[in-house]
Amino acid sequence: MSIDGTIVRIRDICKNFGGLAALQHVTIDVARGSITSIIGPNGAGKTTLINVLSGFLTPDSGSILLNGKSITGKKGHAITRRGMARTFQTAQLFGTMSVLENVMVGRYARTRAGLAGAALRLPGVLAEERATRARAMDLLQRVGLTAQARLPAASIPIGSQRLLEIARALASDPQVLLLDEPAAGLNTQETRLLGELLLSIRSKGITIILVEHDMELVMDISDMIAVLNFGENIARGTPAHIQANPDVIAVYLGEE
Amino acid sequence: MHIRTHIPLITLALGIIAVPLTVKDPYYLTILIFIGIYAIATMGLNLLMGYAGQISLGHAAFFALGAYVPAILTTRYGVPCIAGAAAAVALAAAVAYVVGLPCLRLKGHYLAMGTLAFGEIIHIVLNAEIELTGGPSGIAGIPMLGIGNLQADNDTKYFLVVWVLFLLLFILTRNIINSRPGRALQALHGSEQAASAMGIDVGGMKLTVFVLSAAYAALAGVLYAHFVAFISPDAGTVMFSIKMVTMVVVGGMGHLWGGLMGAALLTVLPEMLSYFEDYDMLIYGGILLLMVMFLPGGLAQGGERLRGAFRRGGSP
Repeated sequence: MSIDGTIVRIRDICKNFGGLAALQHVTIDVARGSITSIIGPNGAGKTTLINVLSGFLTPDSGSILLNGKSITGKKGHAITRRGMARTFQTAQLFGTMSVLENVMVGRYARTRAGLAGAALRLPGVLAEERATRARAMDLLQRVGLTAQARLPAASIPIGSQRLLEIARALASDPQVLLLDEPAAGLNTQETRLLGELLLSIRSKGITIILVEHDMELVMDISDMIAVLNFGENIARGTPAHIQANPDVIAVYLGEE
Repeated sequence: MHIRTHIPLITLALGIIAVPLTVKDPYYLTILIFIGIYAIATMGLNLLMGYAGQISLGHAAFFALGAYVPAILTTRYGVPCIAGAAAAVALAAAVAYVVGLPCLRLKGHYLAMGTLAFGEIIHIVLNAEIELTGGPSGIAGIPMLGIGNLQADNDTKYFLVVWVLFLLLFILTRNIINSRPGRALQALHGSEQAASAMGIDVGGMKLTVFVLSAAYAALAGVLYAHFVAFISPDAGTVMFSIKMVTMVVVGGMGHLWGGLMGAALLTVLPEMLSYFEDYDMLIYGGILLLMVMFLPGGLAQGGERLRGAFRRGGSP
């Protein structure tokens, strides 16, 4: 794969928690515009990898390049501003705020209004506010939550909360979207809709890095899959390649 | 925005106009002025606690700084009131910035203890620096507020100064809450991790709201000093910090009107309970306990429930 085609380069990442090696020399290239899934048994280091990529954890060694520039050790908010947004394994919404406001917070990285301008309601601030609201409504429509816009985020069902997290992350205009088990807690129908949503996000040119246990979903939509086991990247390849890999079958997929 | 959303604010504005025309008794005017002063401090603390979810048990220190700076500047150096007020707010904001840098790295109980310790240090300094602060006996003879020929030289005028300021700050604060930075500080309360993932600099945002809330407390301190004309270290005690927190909690955290309601209740209640003499603190504590038990969202939430009940009752 050409260098231009790689949007995220994960190079030789190691992360230890005390004596536990959560990530060991993990190296993955993520192709621009792809859906790249990271799978593996519980405790394999998938969420740790997401946390390292999104700046919530600092790796012990190794580097991460986004568009060829290092983001290793940068803080979470700085990485979002550079175009990599994330969701959480257990939805972390702003529970008392409305569904719409949650998505509006997602626009934070791409808007400018400061305290003084906001307090005085300057014309520029009001125009930005209108644009933020309109954009947030668009995103809610895209994930099918228009009717819930005014409800407190904590009051909507788990499946809707997952979609809201995706809408909120999309609000920051990411080039790369990190999704940590977005299908957890969804029923079959919801999972199918989620798959369609992810494909439509990819069709807009947004790269998706997906951590997921639902193998049907992963095999359906992924362009590339990386398999982690005890913090090691034991396999990389297309869904067909991964499904046929004896090592992966042994540690994770099992015999059908 | 619908006109209905402005009704409470318009009612308050009409009330502010009506009071000078109707209330002549200096006792009631004084109580109303104190309510306004505390409501300004509480509004800032509500931003920090109710909206951003950070606790401070040291806000009396900012109130005291706000009171001492103009007291010193006007009585010793003849500085105009308005300059003294500006200096007070600026100093409190600067101190909040320096204190907030290390303190806001703490969370929950540790943040409470850190700010408590800071408040105690300021209280000790106010007592000990006799040359500067007059020590335990404080500073007397602080002039009334005024600019040039415009002097707030009676209670009615002072009432208007305090309450017009409150009204202005209320509108500005409400604008902030319904804006990009306002949503960001509410996001901190919801989930710091998610806030960070939205591109919000969590540490920077906490510091901003801490400084802002200190500025409100300092402004309230300025108004207090010029009204009472005397200031002593008692204004900077931990008890007063806790009282401000109680005003926010009883009034309604994260509810802008709640701050005013809490300030009003906790100012009026002790006055009313003085009738019970020795038992006043017991009854006072009992009322607060019952409120926290049965109205955990504060007076503002109680008001909303009542309004909701009326609406349900009114519609078929």
